[in-house]
Amino acid sequence: MPLGTLDRTPPPFFKQGHSALSKLVFFSALALFLMVADTRFSITQPVRAALATALYPVQWLALQPVRGVQNASGYLTGLDQANSSSEQASKKLALQSMRAGQVESLEQENARLRKLLGLRDQLTASVMSAEVLYDAADPYTRKVIIDKGLVQGIELGSPVLDESGVLGQVTRVHPLVSEVTLVIDRDLAIPVLNVRTGARSVAFGDPATAASGSGLELRFMGSNSDVLEGDLLTTSGVDGVYPAGLPVAKISKIERRAESAFAKIYCTPQALVTGARHVVVVKPATSRLPPRPGDLPLPAAPKKGAAK
Amino acid sequence: MIMRSGQALLLPANPVFIWGSLIAALLLNMLPLGRVPWMPDFLALVLVFWNVHQPLRVGIGLAFFFGLGMDVHQSSLLGQHALSYTALCFFATMIHRRLLWFSVPSQALQVLPLFAAAHGVELVIRMVSGGIFPGWILLMAPALESLLWPLASILLLAPQRRAPNPDENRPL
Repeated sequence: MPLGTLDRTPPPFFKQGHSALSKLVFFSALALFLMVADTRFSITQPVRAALATALYPVQWLALQPVRGVQNASGYLTGLDQANSSSEQASKKLALQSMRAGQVESLEQENARLRKLLGLRDQLTASVMSAEVLYDAADPYTRKVIIDKGLVQGIELGSPVLDESGVLGQVTRVHPLVSEVTLVIDRDLAIPVLNVRTGARSVAFGDPATAASGSGLELRFMGSNSDVLEGDLLTTSGVDGVYPAGLPVAKISKIERRAESAFAKIYCTPQALVTGARHVVVVKPATSRLPPRPGDLPLPAAPKKGAAK
Repeated sequence: MIMRSGQALLLPANPVFIWGSLIAALLLNMLPLGRVPWMPDFLALVLVFWNVHQPLRVGIGLAFFFGLGMDVHQSSLLGQHALSYTALCFFATMIHRRLLWFSVPSQALQVLPLFAAAHGVELVIRMVSGGIFPGWILLMAPALESLLWPLASILLLAPQRRAPNPDENRPL
């Protein structure tokens, strides 16, 4: 019974329910259990998927005013921007058309050469376009939500690209939406290849430097390794997830320190990690790779002592 | 019933209005405004408000489930908001008899530590589980929530301040 209201029903006298302390203990324990289950055992995906689907209408509703404002401002900025962006696009197209013309013949040539050498055909990936709904509001990670999910056939672990490079990887799939961890997230690592030298390495997300224009770090490169500012890093394809040859980042700054055996190499992601709107989800290459030797049934091992 | 002098006798709260305000706060929290660490948590504010004013209708259990919803929406650690809202509402229930004896500005000052503790719980959990430190701007969030308390008191109590017997002079 709240103080000072004209409530017509008398407050319950004996039926007070559970005490606040017991409720606190119960629900805190439940929350802690969920957290451990989420991080260690990852068995909470059904709960998440169900809640996400139930929340979808609310999310959609919350999205509308922001989308409306975006559309209205886009409409008002209007003609000038449209003209300039179309000019830019046609310039880019003109630059790319030459290369695109070469690609056909190069591909043919490549296929013939591969056949000559007896190599396996290069993997071609199937893609699906999607739209970024919103940046996940969680300030402790770097994730975005896209508008395609299990229903549309998104797979866990799919690489996500935007028009200029690798944006991230699908880390959770709900029925109607999915969650993409960006390349600048601390937990994401991408095997990359330095295009200039051909050296392979791994780029890790480094969100602390994202504000200053960087956002990725090339770790475990010796301080005498051959890297230069401006080197383009592309996916190397050795992970079996990312198709090879997609631009990931450019090296923006190199610090070679005397006290450390490793150089500190900052890279700038090529994709628009803060403002991507339209993205492409690529099916992970894992399903089309041959099985790893470890997964094959072992040939019958000779019994111990029998061979002697 | 003991009432402090000058306190208005309020109409009973409408459960539909309580639920509506909670859903509206959830919607405000879900507005896709990007990754803003200092954004005040409207849902936490409304939950504390109803926990103080209507402890029999809005309790710790409801706060837990709204917290789970926020976790799924923000795709943060499942249970993080649930735990912080549970603690928040427990402390709100603890102080609800005392709090209403104070004026609204001093109420705002008294709920500030609650909001700070709730954000602190989230920060500690995420730092332990290996998150990125969002910066000290995070401290703005509880301060803003506490500043919004007077506004919430005006808006959420408005339907209860209507006249019990509306006539031509007092239509509402």
